[in-house]
Amino acid sequence: MRRLFGKPMAWLLMAALLVGMTGGCQKNAGTEGDGGFRTESGSSREPGSQSGQEQKTESAGDQGQASGGPVAMGRYKETEIALPEEMGTQSLIRFLRGASGNLEMYTVQRDSSGSVAEAFAYVYKDGSWEKQAEWAGTQVLKEWNLDLAYVDYGQDGSCYLGGTDSKYRYHLLRIDGDGSAAELLEEVFEPGDGREYGLVPPRFEILDDGNILVYGYDQVELYTPSGTRRLSLAKDFNGSTSDARGFAEGKELVVVLEDEIVRYDLETGQMTGSIAYDEVKGDRENVELFGDGAGGVYLAGEAGLAHIGQGGSLWEILIDGSLTHLGMRSLYLQGFLAGEQGEYYGVFSGNMGKGIQMFCYEYDPDLAAVPPSVLTIYSLEDQSTVRQAASQFQSDHPEVKVEFRTAVEKGGTVTEEMIQSLNTELLGGRGADILILDGLPAASYVEKGVLMDLGSLVDELEGSGTMLDNFLEGFRQEDGTIYQVPARVGFPLLLGEEKAVQAYASLETMAAYQGERPLMAGHNYENLLRRLAYLLSPELFGNRTIFEKDGLVRYLETVKALGDANGSKIVFTSEEEMERMWAGNYVRKSGVVGSAIHYDNKMCDSGLEEIDGFGDLAIPAQVRVQNPQSQMVPVGKIYLPTAMAGINRSTANEELAKDFIRCLLSVEVQKEDLYDGFPVNREALQQMADQEHDGYMVGSGVGDYSISAEWPAKEVRMEAAAMLEKLTVPALVDETIMKMIVEGSGDYLDGKQTSAQAADGILRKLSIYLAE
Amino acid sequence: MKKRAEQVVAVSGRSRKPMVPWFFLAPSLIGVVVFYGLPFLDVVKRSFQDAMGTRYVGLDNYKAVLDNTAFRLAAANTLRFLLMCLPLLMLLSFGTALLLTAGAARRARRADSKGQGPYGILRTTLVLPMAIPAVSMVLVWKIFLCPEGVLNQWLSGVTGQEWQVDWAFSRWAFPILVITYLWKHMGYDMVLWLAGLQAVPGELYEAARIDGAGIWARLWYITLPELRGTFVLAGVLSVVNSFRVYREAYLLAGSYPDSSIYLLPHLFAHWFLSLDIQKMTAAAVLLTGALGVPAWGVWLLKRRKGGRQL
Amino acid sequence: MKKSLIKGEKGILLLLFGVCLLVWIPLLLMTAAALMPEDELCWRYLSPLGLGQAPVKAALLPSYPSAEALAELLLRSPGFFVMFWNSCIQVVPMVLGQLLVGAPAAWAFARFRFPGRKLLFAVYVILMVLPFQVTQVSSYLVLDRLGLLDSHLALIVPGIWAALPVFIMERSFEAIPETLLEAAYLDGAGEWGAFFHVGLPLGYPGIVTALLLSFIEGWNGLEQPLTYLKDKTLWPLSLYLPDIAADKGAVAFAAALVTCLLPVLVYLNCQEELEQGVAASGLKE
Repeated sequence: MRRLFGKPMAWLLMAALLVGMTGGCQKNAGTEGDGGFRTESGSSREPGSQSGQEQKTESAGDQGQASGGPVAMGRYKETEIALPEEMGTQSLIRFLRGASGNLEMYTVQRDSSGSVAEAFAYVYKDGSWEKQAEWAGTQVLKEWNLDLAYVDYGQDGSCYLGGTDSKYRYHLLRIDGDGSAAELLEEVFEPGDGREYGLVPPRFEILDDGNILVYGYDQVELYTPSGTRRLSLAKDFNGSTSDARGFAEGKELVVVLEDEIVRYDLETGQMTGSIAYDEVKGDRENVELFGDGAGGVYLAGEAGLAHIGQGGSLWEILIDGSLTHLGMRSLYLQGFLAGEQGEYYGVFSGNMGKGIQMFCYEYDPDLAAVPPSVLTIYSLEDQSTVRQAASQFQSDHPEVKVEFRTAVEKGGTVTEEMIQSLNTELLGGRGADILILDGLPAASYVEKGVLMDLGSLVDELEGSGTMLDNFLEGFRQEDGTIYQVPARVGFPLLLGEEKAVQAYASLETMAAYQGERPLMAGHNYENLLRRLAYLLSPELFGNRTIFEKDGLVRYLETVKALGDANGSKIVFTSEEEMERMWAGNYVRKSGVVGSAIHYDNKMCDSGLEEIDGFGDLAIPAQVRVQNPQSQMVPVGKIYLPTAMAGINRSTANEELAKDFIRCLLSVEVQKEDLYDGFPVNREALQQMADQEHDGYMVGSGVGDYSISAEWPAKEVRMEAAAMLEKLTVPALVDETIMKMIVEGSGDYLDGKQTSAQAADGILRKLSIYLAE
Repeated sequence: MKKRAEQVVAVSGRSRKPMVPWFFLAPSLIGVVVFYGLPFLDVVKRSFQDAMGTRYVGLDNYKAVLDNTAFRLAAANTLRFLLMCLPLLMLLSFGTALLLTAGAARRARRADSKGQGPYGILRTTLVLPMAIPAVSMVLVWKIFLCPEGVLNQWLSGVTGQEWQVDWAFSRWAFPILVITYLWKHMGYDMVLWLAGLQAVPGELYEAARIDGAGIWARLWYITLPELRGTFVLAGVLSVVNSFRVYREAYLLAGSYPDSSIYLLPHLFAHWFLSLDIQKMTAAAVLLTGALGVPAWGVWLLKRRKGGRQL
Repeated sequence: MKKSLIKGEKGILLLLFGVCLLVWIPLLLMTAAALMPEDELCWRYLSPLGLGQAPVKAALLPSYPSAEALAELLLRSPGFFVMFWNSCIQVVPMVLGQLLVGAPAAWAFARFRFPGRKLLFAVYVILMVLPFQVTQVSSYLVLDRLGLLDSHLALIVPGIWAALPVFIMERSFEAIPETLLEAAYLDGAGEWGAFFHVGLPLGYPGIVTALLLSFIEGWNGLEQPLTYLKDKTLWPLSLYLPDIAADKGAVAFAAALVTCLLPVLVYLNCQEELEQGVAASGLKE
């Protein structure tokens, strides 16, 4: 016993632990890797010669920087490359280095139905793009009647095309020297037994030996040109790898699998190593991988461009994404390549592949590695519009480094400590210049004077006549000051007949509603509690109705009555969730879980949807078409503000911070539909409303019921835009109180307590909260 | 020779070289002043200012805090918690430490014994709880305490009735918090007691045994007086640790738990969240007084009655 | 005599095992959970994990043992290793510094009488008792002024001057019998000699205990790193857990096990050191 737990054993265990950790990391970095853990932790803090590394060191000692120490120089400079004007309406198919060594782009022009009308090839020569009038592919595609999906070159210089025919069958063609086309791997893309569609791979790749890699959605397969399957790799049983991202180089395939980059030997089919890439991935899945010709891997994505050498364990960040368009949310990275003189090229597109933009990244030794001044934005969670604005602001102000700090990663839990550590900075007169107040105790910040008065800025913006003043005015204090402005808004949309719509006026009318069916669709009780709290927030929170026992009891009883009528539960078992499909345990902050289809399916007398963009209108508009007697209106004048921005009063960059708010609310930023809400800028709203989406289709259905809808018609979009103009009441719910109510009402809603008992319990906590 | 004699006197308390202790103390003192003293003075200053530290408000903050019902509730609960936990914790940890020492001593006296036997494992076991992160431990407590948890299942089995109590949110929250506190911090105090027990000179026991003193007599006349210093030590550190129970309380029952376990750290956390730092600092100064006075008193007591005169 | 001794020992052991059982059962539950595949964890502990409502099916052993969670943690989370090393970098120098700075101070408090001693000691105690929250803002400002924020030093430097180890060491220095010191002085030791040759060896149990407790505390510290370190690449291991506990249950349990492994190993060593140290001092039998 002594031996086992005595000193030698303990030291041995400790040593084993350390070795285990180092070993684990080595394996992580690739089996042939010689970089152990120490390199990783050590050098991630070392100042590298390039921007990504510099940034970390700089932020570690910002005091030193300010006092005028030597400024590290050298950064990749981003310059836009002009594209032919006609490309504005085209969609990008492929950006690659062609057989001749020039950069090439393949694009298509789609007609209004969304299918391809014509395909084009462009070549980059001597600093400008030229259309290849005589591209053989144009003719081949016409002959085969194909909708072009992908282009690649073989080692011998012949061009390979992939596309679907009118029956949505995939064809892979090789264009030979004389312009004729030969089909390859015909059987591979044939529909399997009893299936309507065959495999339509997002990509393929022609290897040096002529073999073909077909990137499917759940695996990569290697075929000989004659159609024999050699290998089947990177099987993703979880289906978590939605895009086929990867490349082959030499005898090796490098591909993203689950949350890693893995290497395969293409001769044996064995996995030979894996690389973790969390730190360079960014918040979006959209990344491009390419090789460096020596076994290393480049990764371009939202976080920037990073490189890892063969067998290395440390990513070197070459380009900081947040300083370039790589970090811009409205753009999708479509291709990224290394140039011949150490420069890089990136091609992006907007929605649906349109709006192609190209940038060149050249190393400029005279540029400060990090822009001299810094504007910091703090948000608890990532927010697309704010990120978009940060990126826009960055390209407008190259001399400023815009730093967007978030406390938690997507889906992470915000803890009290995170807010406390932010408060520590704020109380100490520091902290970020811009605060995104979603989830933060904004009321206390206003009361304690942490935020700057934006009154004059808002007046200026409103004076220009471009803003939707109703949203900015929603946060004006009685004395005319204004400390926070929403950058995005959503609103609850109500579908139903006159009588049901009227019932949403107040707690009383909701409770009194008598109809054929329940007033609203059932869901879990937390959503129901939240739904009422948000929809009636002026009555319940504004008038402090639920701070009194009477009001609280009425509120709880109304929720219970509604819930009894529509079959709500506190928690659904997983079987119930599967069976019902109508209601689950998912909780939405506003409690408004889409229920237009419940209404359409005659399960309740009204349907509610939270509308955060024009796409969200598709289903409700369709439901109204199918129920002509029903109205489609907002609930009162309620809207749901998000991305609330404020300026830290102790900022040293007041003008920059104000400029950022202007940028955040500007047409350029606001007009992008990032699915996080409507613009608060009238012109941007107009532009967004004008957008058509050809081929857009949404559907939903359960059992016998199904519904599908196209992109909402212009009149519907204008109708919604008009609704937005009239919304003046932000739904303001104190989340702390909301939590108390949810926690304290469970036993009552479950039938184990009376409403008075539950109300007493909640009020006990509430009174402590209010007394604090 | 003469010099040496002087130094002995110095140790006995009448130093002729008054600078000597300061050489020992200085490195620590400087850092403590900078890293703890200055912040504390800043806290005191802030307790007389408004939230953002822009102007002085006199005793307003103190008045606001003392009038605050939430503060009174939290202070009363905290006091209750301390009165409940401290004796229990000290008694339990002392008991275990004593058993461990006694057991190991007996084993050591046995001719055929080698090493520590099971005592090493036992000791390590008791230290484990304090090394486990609270987040994970709370998940384990929830396995026992949630409405569908082990405790309710067991009660249902025993009583034949359906039990579905959400213990952490019920009025049982207080004893539950006490138990989690004891579970986690017993090892901490035990380590202190073990160190204290090891420092008790063995000859004292031998002498007592020869004099025919029994186990209890030895405990009462040797062990307890010798451990008076450790008692104060463990007591003060347990108070320190009791403020950390907030993490468990928060993870187990949320930021607004049953009003019986609404403690000062809850209130401090909420004040911090809403930037009411002026109230928090005022309350902290009051707390310092409330803790400091008795702690100092006990310490002085110990010095006067101290077993050995230095 | 021998027989009764053994009998007495059995009783003691029985009692101790009873106490330890209270620790072992929750720990076993946790270990079992760490070794479960994610789906088993889900159907067993749906409610405690906050994922739904279903009767808990507690198990001290997993039905389908799997090292999935441990592998995920140790092989696929580079962040975990970085944080592990950050913890080491932050805690080890801190503990060594405490020994360097705290032990002489404790010696001064324990073995000298000088004006202001009681007052100063009381100040140490009070500064130790205050919850971190209270001084959080003020400490932040001090560190900011010194330019220590956002570096490992932000945790190491204030940690070195924590009052707690001084308090614990003082107690053990105080317990050293006066006679031993007198003997040392008679042998020609100076003030520092007495400290090094009598104080440190005899105060051993207290010193090791103090450093051990500091180590564990530093290892599990949450508030300080979260407040002082904006740069997440500097975060210690203790901040790994809160980040993942939300959805990856098994990994959370596995991480808990790995997190407490090092402190426990350190304790195992210290325990042995303590035994030997005491034996060497000749204080016991």
